[in-house]
Amino acid sequence: MTYSSSLAIGRQRFATSQQNTAGFRTQKRTLGPVSNTIMLVILACLLGLLYLTQVTKTNALSYRINDLRAAQSQLKTEHNDLEVSAARLQSLERVKNSDTAKALVSLSASDSVQN
Amino acid sequence: MRPNRPNVPIISTNSRIRWWYSGLLLIMAIFAVRLFYLQVIRHDYYEKAALSSQLKQYEIPAERGGISAHYGDKVTPIVLNEIRYTLYADPKFVVNPSNTATLLQKIIGGNAKDYQDKLAKAGSRYQILAKKLSLEQKDAIINLKLKGVGTQPVNYRTYPQGSLASQLLGYVNDDGIGTYGLEQALEPTLKGKPGQLKAITDASGVPLAANRDNLIQDPIAGKDVVLTIDIGLQSQLEDILKSGLDKAKSSSGGALIMDTTTGDIKAMANYPTYNPAEYYKVENANVFSNATVSAPLEIGSVMKPLTAASALDQGVVNDNTTYYDPSQFTVDGYKITNIEEDGGPGTRSIADILQLSLNTGATWLLMQMGGGQINQKARVAWHDYMVNHYGFGQLTGIEQGYESGGSIPDPIKGSALNLQYANTAFGQGMSATPLQLAAALSSVVNGGTYYKPHLVDAYVNADGSQDVQQPVVVRKNVVKEAVGADIVGLMENVINKNWPIYGMSRPNPSYAIGGKTGTAQVAKATGGYYDDKFNGMFMGFVGGNKPEYVIVVRVDEPKIAGYAGSKAAAPIFGHLVDLLINNYGVKPKV
Repeated sequence: MTYSSSLAIGRQRFATSQQNTAGFRTQKRTLGPVSNTIMLVILACLLGLLYLTQVTKTNALSYRINDLRAAQSQLKTEHNDLEVSAARLQSLERVKNSDTAKALVSLSASDSVQN
Repeated sequence: MRPNRPNVPIISTNSRIRWWYSGLLLIMAIFAVRLFYLQVIRHDYYEKAALSSQLKQYEIPAERGGISAHYGDKVTPIVLNEIRYTLYADPKFVVNPSNTATLLQKIIGGNAKDYQDKLAKAGSRYQILAKKLSLEQKDAIINLKLKGVGTQPVNYRTYPQGSLASQLLGYVNDDGIGTYGLEQALEPTLKGKPGQLKAITDASGVPLAANRDNLIQDPIAGKDVVLTIDIGLQSQLEDILKSGLDKAKSSSGGALIMDTTTGDIKAMANYPTYNPAEYYKVENANVFSNATVSAPLEIGSVMKPLTAASALDQGVVNDNTTYYDPSQFTVDGYKITNIEEDGGPGTRSIADILQLSLNTGATWLLMQMGGGQINQKARVAWHDYMVNHYGFGQLTGIEQGYESGGSIPDPIKGSALNLQYANTAFGQGMSATPLQLAAALSSVVNGGTYYKPHLVDAYVNADGSQDVQQPVVVRKNVVKEAVGADIVGLMENVINKNWPIYGMSRPNPSYAIGGKTGTAQVAKATGGYYDDKFNGMFMGFVGGNKPEYVIVVRVDEPKIAGYAGSKAAAPIFGHLVDLLINNYGVKPKV
């Protein structure tokens, strides 16, 4: 055992038994009232800033939502238009007036089929 | 030795600070009072003022449900929604009306002078220049960047099949309300539930998401409806009806085809008709009405099979009963006679009553219900059958606007009741709609079950699933099953004997085809009847072992020689029978 290590062991012994020894006493550092206030104000400002960024971000999303709604509405309108066009193209009147139908031989009023 | 201080007023530093503090406190107090006034006392006022510019609150319209119908095995849309654009102008901001009108005319057609007049109309802030513009036309107009001209999207009903089944469908008016037909009857189902938007928005009206009080409630679209009708059959019914009316020189009429075992209406038409997309062009509002459902009339001799069924069901006669027909009866001092071709007095059967359409025969049947004479017992019994068995005098509940129940005279109160009731036995002195008639005949020939006539086959939910409507049995035992079979045979006999008179093709023995004509004098509004005006009706069925379809045809005041029922309505029935057998898979007798 060296001299210095024996000293360290001695210090630990004193420290664990909590005996006052001027050389080992720790100085407790605390913030003063002004510093505390400033810190709180800074924290509040940071929180406020955070809140504002989040609100702004959320509101920016509103425009995205709005655009998507508009796109959805536009697609729905187009879908409806296509549905109408398809129905018109298949209408009985159109089929009846088609070139194919006009080329068919018309029949006179028929009797019922005799089985 | 201390130097002398200059001779200045002595005001301590503390005192100055106190003054500053006091001043500051005073200013703050003024601010506080002012803020209290603005934020607390005037809170409501300023909140309202702020919200009025930031808060947007409006109703989001729900999409109206579409209407589809069967087309063979498929289902095809017959009423859809389409966005079209209304072109409007604010003349106050229009710069050059003449040039603007010319540019618009190139895109939308029409008369440039009319547009110019509207664009230059002094004092007006809103002029509609055109309606129902397409998306392409709208875009072309917007690209012109004309001052004082704008477009507005409007949701319209569109009808890919044109005027097909127009009276049955009805239309949607400019206020978005279903009028007449299905649109009126199913208004609550079709219109859906509008949504709500209540939100703080930016200057351009975009709802801002970061507001906990926002309320965005999506609209609930109206339910789509699938009808029981088949558009192929409907189209052919309309063509056959129109052709038959032209031949009979009649200006109006109607017809319907009903499934006897479910109450499904397979086709229902009236003439004249109209295009529901252009309902505003119709001058005579009667055209809107589905007369088959909403215009009761004295049905004439088509009532006789029902009179016979009721007498048979009560057991006062049977299908082999014969009687002596004097060819006329006197009731309450009035003579009841037959048509000239009745063959005069003689012994008659129930089959003769229907085949020769004997008014005296129907009167005799009524007498049997009263024990041999027309009395209160006969009237009450017959009234019970008409109202409680056949459903006359009351609504069927079909999904149609303005349905009418017709009228049946009271059997106990009133004057000349015996005469009135003798008339009802052959379809005069009472009124019913062709639909009521079809439902009543169906209930007899199907063996005694009265199904509620209906046009809706299914309601389509938002997820695409369907609520298929099951047939609704209104009453059972309308008549006994055996009586129904008797009536089928008796009505088949009418066709087998009379088809040449009716202008029909020879009935195919493989099928059950039966029917009865009706020719009723038209009642005057002031009472009594016209001597020269008749309505023709035909009521019948077609099927195999059992009647599958009931057909009722109405021809108003035909102007051809012969009886209206036989010469005007019966040929239309004949064509419809052929159509159903040849094209719509009526199963032959086995």
